[in-house]
Amino acid sequence: MALIAIIDDDPDIIDASTLVLKSKGYQVITATNPKDGYDIVMQNKPDLIILDVMMDEPDDGFFLAQRFRKENVNTPILMYSSVSKTVGMEYGPGELVPVDDFVEKPISPEELIQKVGRLLGHLQDKE
Amino acid sequence: MNNVKPHILIVDDEKGLLSGTKRLLESEGYITYATESGLEGLELARQNELDLALIDLKMPDMNGIEVLKEIKKIQPNTVCFIATAFASYDTAIESTKLGAYSYIPKPFTPEELIHQLERGYEKRLMILEAERLKKEREERLLEVAYEKTRLRTIINSINEGVLVVNKGGELVLFNSSAVKFLDLNELYIGDVILDILPSQISGLIKKYIESDDYLPNSYSTQIDLRTNRELCIDATCSPVPDTNGKLAGIVTVLKNITEQVKYEEIKSQFVSMVAHELKAPVAAVTGFIKLILDDSITKSKVQEKDYLNRSYTRLQGLIAMVNDLLDISRMELKNKQREIKELDIIPLINSVIEFMEFELKKKNIKVEFNVNTSCTILKADQNELNRLFTNILSNGIKYNKDNGSIKIDVNRSGTYQVIKIEDTGIGLKPEEKKKLFQEFYRAKNEKTQNISGTGLGLSIVKRIIDSYNGKIEVDSEYGIGTNFIIYFPVGD
Repeated sequence: MALIAIIDDDPDIIDASTLVLKSKGYQVITATNPKDGYDIVMQNKPDLIILDVMMDEPDDGFFLAQRFRKENVNTPILMYSSVSKTVGMEYGPGELVPVDDFVEKPISPEELIQKVGRLLGHLQDKE
Repeated sequence: MNNVKPHILIVDDEKGLLSGTKRLLESEGYITYATESGLEGLELARQNELDLALIDLKMPDMNGIEVLKEIKKIQPNTVCFIATAFASYDTAIESTKLGAYSYIPKPFTPEELIHQLERGYEKRLMILEAERLKKEREERLLEVAYEKTRLRTIINSINEGVLVVNKGGELVLFNSSAVKFLDLNELYIGDVILDILPSQISGLIKKYIESDDYLPNSYSTQIDLRTNRELCIDATCSPVPDTNGKLAGIVTVLKNITEQVKYEEIKSQFVSMVAHELKAPVAAVTGFIKLILDDSITKSKVQEKDYLNRSYTRLQGLIAMVNDLLDISRMELKNKQREIKELDIIPLINSVIEFMEFELKKKNIKVEFNVNTSCTILKADQNELNRLFTNILSNGIKYNKDNGSIKIDVNRSGTYQVIKIEDTGIGLKPEEKKKLFQEFYRAKNEKTQNISGTGLGLSIVKRIIDSYNGKIEVDSEYGIGTNFIIYFPVGD
């Protein structure tokens, strides 16, 4: 079953997301800051990355996504966003920000499962 | 004669005549200055405003003609009479040449004298009226002559830039602020300036010039003149009509709104930060509740209880944050609600320590409180100081290790109360130190993960200290501890 990395600085969000994903049989690894997040992705090569847009800095999730793409990590990225729209960072999927989809907080289990499934399915189609 | 009494100087060396004349004139309502000496007469002329002067021609100390000349120098508008027993045509001519109004041959009858003086006084009043009119006219001329200069001075002294062009686009009037705002080296009346102006402004001006009708409205535009919001101006163009109501020119007023724009930016950044911080706990709690409600996700009773506990904690944090935010907004209104009075800082700090006793005992943290000065009175608002020390001390406890310690030193240095608070906590990394006083900043590292906070405590501390023009310094080593040094002005 697919391996998913969750990178978010809010442990409660990580735990809730983990429970949802595990209940659908996915394996989950987690990190609470961009640096650890980079490390777990490079070491474990997950099938999907869930990335919070705003951790220590208002846009460090965005920069981490850019770094992955620059280093040819082409794993699909699902970005968690919160108030980024009001901060003036409104992006559509794939536009400017090298991510594949967005989930707006608070996270609804159905939406998360549906989007994760689609991104992983998309990946399988390509292979 | 009207209510006004004429002032008259009488100079005559014949005592009897002098006192007789004086009596006569006083009975007629004159105010008299009488003397037998020519020199004294001049002295009286220097000290008193004289309408009339009656001067005897022959006197032992000074010739009447000389006295006349001198009086005319001192008071040119005094009407003078020369009285003489040696009346001759020549002396009469000479004295009138020298400025005497007339001469009175001696001996004279009271009626003759009064008649002459009355005519003289009429003359005096005419001279005064003519003087007044002349002065008034001169003033009015000056006024007209200076009106342009005055307008110029007024326009130059205002902070707003002013720029007037005629309908040919030629510069008619401008002030130094306009030159400064537009970053131009020089401007001259008559310059065709539409091409030099920022396009937004010349666009507005052209709108008036190119319109067939007279446009009565004003138009504004905001321009970022340099990069990075260094200079933002608001330009407002209005039409200037001629006497027929047709367009004569366009006046442009330039206002510096840089501060306002920056302030708006800071405000909107702050609002989105607040929104983010408020949304985070709400999102977490909503997530947990959805998990619990979602039957398709399997979880144990213990897990559910854990999620509820964590939701509760997040909501407690949310309430604390809202309270801190309310404190910050109260602080913005500080001048209205502040009560500045003399306070002894020692009992105040002691009461804060007492208030924190439960937290101190929980982690077994010792507090060492040293007062190294006898001057401990300062002027401040008690609630604000309570808040200040509560926030600092609560950080000193929260970020301390078990069995750690907090040392507080109070000193006085000049007009500052210096309070040093030293803890044996987890300390700060250099990059964390820089951001410490920012709103919502919380040091995030392996050691702070389980410590809750709003990220507003120290920013409130800094706001309080700043509002008293004080200073707070932080000195810290990661893993060792943190020192805060507060320099608080003691007030007059």
